[in-house]
Amino acid sequence: MNQKPNVWTQVGCGDEGTASFAMDAVCDVPRIPHYLMRALLLVILLAMLAGCGERGHVYRQQAYTFGTIVDITIWGHDEAKAQQAMAAVFADLDRMHRDWHAWEPGPLYDLNQALPSGEWVKIPEPVKPLLRRARALSEKTGWLFDPGIGQLIRLWGFNDQFYNRTEPPLQAEIDAILAKHASMADLEIEDDRVRSRNPAVYLDLGGFAKGFGVDMAIARLKELGVTDAIVNAGGDLRVIGQRGARPWRIGIRHPRGQGIIASLEVAHDESVYTSGDYERFFDYQGRRYHHILDPRTGYPAQGVVAASIIHDSSAAADAASSALVVAGVAGWEAVAKAMGITQAMVIDDTGKIHMTPAMAKRIHFEVSPPPEIILSEAW
Amino acid sequence: MRRGDVLALLLAVSILPPLYAVLWHDGRGGDYARILVGGQQRELVSLHEDRTLEVSGELGVSTLEVKEGQIRFLASPCPGQQCVHNGWIHFGGDVLTCLPNKISIAILGGEQRFDSVNF
Repeated sequence: MNQKPNVWTQVGCGDEGTASFAMDAVCDVPRIPHYLMRALLLVILLAMLAGCGERGHVYRQQAYTFGTIVDITIWGHDEAKAQQAMAAVFADLDRMHRDWHAWEPGPLYDLNQALPSGEWVKIPEPVKPLLRRARALSEKTGWLFDPGIGQLIRLWGFNDQFYNRTEPPLQAEIDAILAKHASMADLEIEDDRVRSRNPAVYLDLGGFAKGFGVDMAIARLKELGVTDAIVNAGGDLRVIGQRGARPWRIGIRHPRGQGIIASLEVAHDESVYTSGDYERFFDYQGRRYHHILDPRTGYPAQGVVAASIIHDSSAAADAASSALVVAGVAGWEAVAKAMGITQAMVIDDTGKIHMTPAMAKRIHFEVSPPPEIILSEAW
Repeated sequence: MRRGDVLALLLAVSILPPLYAVLWHDGRGGDYARILVGGQQRELVSLHEDRTLEVSGELGVSTLEVKEGQIRFLASPCPGQQCVHNGWIHFGGDVLTCLPNKISIAILGGEQRFDSVNF
């Protein structure tokens, strides 16, 4: 699964190019009085210091794993250590992908086969922490994020990246699945065993497994002594530390293919997650059918184009960003509040931006004219 | 403080805004696009030369277009067409991926506006 990752290194402070440009400019100015020259040099030196901070390197590797492309960035001084850490994390992610895949043989798949019996089933060891966390977070979203709807996800074909529907399923097919009311709420979890009250429950942890995996990847990097890094799994990311003297700079992609809509700076352990209708979809008769399904209707959620979250945990940010899309323009605030998420941004299908005051402080829009913004109350 | 010192100080302060504008603000996109197939570098493409190029990946051939300092997936054999819908990129640090075809494009050079991109 994991191909040998490609490595590239960016040497230096990254702002060196502009710094040396400033030096050239100074050398070109002839016969300036001494004190002026001194002042100029002082200013330029300060500018260079501010831009450079400490010396270090950016090490980056990407690999196809977890059903997506994972990009790891490490800021540091020790190349061998960075390489080792990245290799360890890629190996971990490969294993997690196998353990947590809903539709390919492995521990979660086995559990899914055993659940319909209604009997107590031993939870496979690698699935344990994931299962508890997923259930707890789903409950907090009011089951708008619900990994128990695997059958519905498979009906729509969103579980397979090599397959794309060209038209939606028949209403009768959707109704038949909805009538079974499958939900993760039907699971009873005790120490090391689980049973399902509903034989229609099929767990597809989808993006959530990825979010949980990113949290574990960051924990692993910390264990290995890495203090400054980004783990970006298919567009959703968590950072630790910063990039030398400055925070990490993150761009949020425009949901309608117009480059970067907004940017922000993050540092010291934060996750940035976005769910949107543009990540996976097909069009049928002028309508878009995307991969974020509303468990209540059986159809893709409507009204919200993208939801972005800044939060410490990736797992929570992942569940929240999906749930906010499902909750819609009228419901997103209640869900974010219930989950203890204070930094959230929702783009509705008219292009208006709804966000919390805490998010507004962080976000810088990169589009002109800037979009219309509706601030929520603070909580 | 002597008159010269005051002057020097004034000059130092007055030069800060333009320096800030030059050193910290955007404008310049990337210079190159690194094309990776399956995580391995396949090609390094200048963004200053308009062209289309064909890259063969896991599923088949993807067509990339370079125009006025930007690059995009023009066509790809993947079922979902996400890579094509993503449109153009040009900022240093931005990345485009066609997941099923295992092709990714990373913008290099220029100002490294972003360390990572969220979507």
